[in-house]
Amino acid sequence: MQTVNDVLSESVRKEIEHWLTKFPADRRESAVIPALTAAQEQNGGWLTEEIMNAVAEYIGMPRVSVYEVATFYSMFDREPCGRHKINVCTNICCMLMGSDSVVEYIENKLGIKQGETTADGKFTMKIEEECLAACGGGPMMVVDGHYYEKLTPEKIDTILDGLD
Amino acid sequence: MSAKPEINADDMVNIEINGVPMQAAKGSMIIHAADDANIYIPRFCYHKKLPIAANCRMCLVEVEGVPKPLPACATPVMDGMKVLTSSDFAKKAQQGVMEFLLINHPLDCPICDQGGECELQDIAMGYGRSVSRFAEKKRIVKDKNIGPLIATEMTRCIHCTRCIRTIELVGGDKELGGMGRGTKTLIGTYIERSVNSEMSGNVIDVCPVGALTAKPSRFAARAWEMRSTAGVAGHDCIGSNINTHIRNKEVVRVVPAENEKINEVWISDRDRYAYEGLNSDSRLTAPMIKVNGEWVETDWNTALEEVVEGMRANKDNLAGLMSPNVTTEEAFLMQKLLRDMGATSVDHRIGQQDFSDDGQAPLASSLGSSVEALESLDAALLIGSNIRHDQPIASHRLRKAADNGAKVMLLNSIDFDINFPIAEFIITHPDAFAADLAAMVKVALEQNSSATPDGLGALINDVIVTDVHRDIVANLTSANNSSVIIGAQAMALADLSVIRSLAGLLATLTNAQFGYLSRGANSIGASLAGAVPYAGVGGKAVSAGRNAKEMFDSPAAAYMLMNVEPEHDCIDPVQATSALKAADFVVCLTPFASDVMRDYADVLLPTAPYSETSGTFVNAAGTWQRFSANCAPLGETRPAWKVLRVLGNLLDLNGYDYLSSEEVRAEVARDTGQLKLDNTQDWQCPASLGGASGIVRITDLPIYAVDNVVRRADALQQTVHAVSETIAMNQATADKLGVSGAIRVVVAQHDDEISGELCIDARIADDCVLVSSGTVLSSGLGVPYQTITVTKD
Amino acid sequence: MINSMKSVFKSLFLTELLKGMSVTGRYYFRKKFTLFYPEEKTPQSGRFRGLHAQRRYPNGEERCIACKLCEAVCPALAITIESEQREDGSRRTTRYDIDLFKCIYCGFCEEACPVDAIVETRHLEYHFENRGENVMTKEKLLRNGELYEDQIATDRARDAAYR
Repeated sequence: MQTVNDVLSESVRKEIEHWLTKFPADRRESAVIPALTAAQEQNGGWLTEEIMNAVAEYIGMPRVSVYEVATFYSMFDREPCGRHKINVCTNICCMLMGSDSVVEYIENKLGIKQGETTADGKFTMKIEEECLAACGGGPMMVVDGHYYEKLTPEKIDTILDGLD
Repeated sequence: MSAKPEINADDMVNIEINGVPMQAAKGSMIIHAADDANIYIPRFCYHKKLPIAANCRMCLVEVEGVPKPLPACATPVMDGMKVLTSSDFAKKAQQGVMEFLLINHPLDCPICDQGGECELQDIAMGYGRSVSRFAEKKRIVKDKNIGPLIATEMTRCIHCTRCIRTIELVGGDKELGGMGRGTKTLIGTYIERSVNSEMSGNVIDVCPVGALTAKPSRFAARAWEMRSTAGVAGHDCIGSNINTHIRNKEVVRVVPAENEKINEVWISDRDRYAYEGLNSDSRLTAPMIKVNGEWVETDWNTALEEVVEGMRANKDNLAGLMSPNVTTEEAFLMQKLLRDMGATSVDHRIGQQDFSDDGQAPLASSLGSSVEALESLDAALLIGSNIRHDQPIASHRLRKAADNGAKVMLLNSIDFDINFPIAEFIITHPDAFAADLAAMVKVALEQNSSATPDGLGALINDVIVTDVHRDIVANLTSANNSSVIIGAQAMALADLSVIRSLAGLLATLTNAQFGYLSRGANSIGASLAGAVPYAGVGGKAVSAGRNAKEMFDSPAAAYMLMNVEPEHDCIDPVQATSALKAADFVVCLTPFASDVMRDYADVLLPTAPYSETSGTFVNAAGTWQRFSANCAPLGETRPAWKVLRVLGNLLDLNGYDYLSSEEVRAEVARDTGQLKLDNTQDWQCPASLGGASGIVRITDLPIYAVDNVVRRADALQQTVHAVSETIAMNQATADKLGVSGAIRVVVAQHDDEISGELCIDARIADDCVLVSSGTVLSSGLGVPYQTITVTKD
Repeated sequence: MINSMKSVFKSLFLTELLKGMSVTGRYYFRKKFTLFYPEEKTPQSGRFRGLHAQRRYPNGEERCIACKLCEAVCPALAITIESEQREDGSRRTTRYDIDLFKCIYCGFCEEACPVDAIVETRHLEYHFENRGENVMTKEKLLRNGELYEDQIATDRARDAAYR
């Protein structure tokens, strides 16, 4: 059987330890989101059941609670995905500002639908993204954690073509 | 851990609900005050026994001066608060919530098992709008397979999360969770797996819709077809209160009945699903006699005449054995009948092998406190107990105590899976139990200035005291409210009397209570009714006879067996079956017939299981719980008390003119009236503490093999806790025995030999080989806790 | 005096008899409304409540889902249902009996049925020759359904607007 140390690399464990110090000793579950983020990064952007179990064991919380967190937040992927994750906000403000055409443009550009990954494993378009708290700059998207606002086709081209 | 806070008289505030002024405890919620005043507020996620989640929003009410409707289950009362539960404003809010809840709820009430007893149906009728404005597509959720006990229909789920909280609180392990978010929220386990808690069935009761229903009774009956009758669960010594639902004279379902003092609102899966055994094919429906080796069905008169003849012919050497699951009335009548015939050997302690302290040990081994009191313990030492499986309700109570900081400690041979924090534990060879207890006694004596009891000094001189012993004693001593409890598994130990003595002494020295959680539903009732060979009803002096083991070691000429299957239940199944086969005459009063039974018995009398007879169970706390028959006896089956009463008449004995079981009970109650349940016993110094004696066969009492009914409950036998027919030991023992890597091994004890699959189980102590009782394998072996040899097959 | 004169006059001239005979005579020459049953039959309403039937869906699947609402609503307690989970997981009856001796043909079962499974056909000419034949079993009901499906379907369709 694989132990926690086999599944989580030393740097991930260090990262989790770092976050654990920020919370009271009896509130270890509070570190689950940064822990999952670190573990996801280690695994190339997605979480396996094994990793989630290891995180649960490391932090000392029920596995189901970790699954709950991992399924709730859209920044956690539970299936293999591309190197770059594109999250286009489709919530009401962005929708009014034309996010539908942004989605359509990216879909056509990359030849994938929302929720799919390009064949070369470069891009993944997240299936649906709710408000990303940048309503003032709609339509907007988040690529690999960076916010890009007031999107136009040209702007999208520059952003996506600039990634390797 | 009730969601409701403790109420102190001075901590009250004045509030008004619907114009009715009332007082409510500070910090309690509006819904608590409303419930206390019998003002109903609709709710789904709120359950009085569960933590508050406030996620269904059904309990919205208007509070004067607050612009928005507030959830009554999560709004604390405040002085001067004026609540309106059915103002137009509140009604409109409730209707809105109801409409949202119904958006994704399918209209499949006609095929839903919950239909007719559904909270959603009721509340939709009472608080909903008549027409939905939702015309879009409803969502569909794939059903999950969460085991053989619970059927899921997740499309019906309204995400109240009661099941999640119940499994966490009552089951003890978070096995269910809410996955995803928004309209994609799913209740489930995420990965495909079964929900394995021994209390999992309770999610069915708390589910307000038909998302979780009972699998064994799926589609079998509608709510309005069933007649609910009160009863007492007959599989452990807790005596959970149940309601048995009957359709067409058949039990189709068992649900808990509320009893704060015993089971609150929960029951174990064993109590819930064991009823399947009652409807099993092996039920005996007519009296049968053996004529020239062939079994023939006959009428009661012929069968009883046969019994009278058989008993009269062997009246000098009669023995009677019953299970600890018989009712007090049955136990009383059987011992009375046998003793009136001149027999002295009558017993119910089928799973015990050490009877050397009969007479000194308490007549009835009770818990020494109420079941409720378990949750207020500060420290408890459990000896030989798999409490989670032996008495799930007691385990739940103890778990609450442990969650509140109580220190629960264990002394076992198997590291059972306990779902609450364990402060200290000793997993050791059963022969070392006495030495461990002696070490604890030694520590306690060192701390306590009281004199060392007679003869003990020499025994405890050499015992090795470890830190664990010290910690256990320190925990027991420092606690205000502690208890030393001997569990059901310990009852089978070879040196029970020594354990009992030392545990009793330890309890006295540490100022703890001393109690038992014994095997069976009614061992206390049976003991009080005189079903022990050394005492009559209420402890009356009688001429001593052979006990449950001796009556087979030196066989009797005739046996009367009641509700017992010796090949599974007896401590020495091999000896028991061979003695029964050799006997001149064997009569079985039993609801079930088995092939083994047909082999040794001469007459089979179909007697009613607990659902079909009236009677009394006395639980571990000494509470007498009377119940009536839930349904009419199957076929020609008759309640055992009636059979015994008629037998008394046919045998021309006096005093068998009872008209009801109530009269029998009254007689037992009269004779035991003065008797107080007391576990204190005079100090009896054990001859020795024993010591590790090589490879020993240990046993446990698997949760779903405890009695003849449970063993026949199909759904329970499909769970992960079902009886496992293996020979288990840890890796070290397997290496030592040279069987590691073998697939099958042979266990030999005296002349008996069994061969079975080897299972490496790290939970088992060194030098111990586990063959669970109640299994086919165990029926081929003699007395447990004796040395054995193990070889490769 | 006058009354007794009237009574003598009535009885002497048999006026009441003649009055009666005149009714008979009137109907004797009118158009007849009796029918030569069974060669001739009265027209039937589509809502006629006769012998019961259980319907199937066009794909052959039986409609009944064992909800037991008909059993619950039946005022004469004529219906007996046993149900269980079929192998494919669906809810089905294992037994569906209607005792025609108990049935009062009120049509409540039909009203209660959420899936239009149990219906009363227009068929009213049936008899039993042996004891026990009065119990319509599931097989018999389904056979009736197959036999009269066309008529049942047309009748239901015609009535649908008024339900």
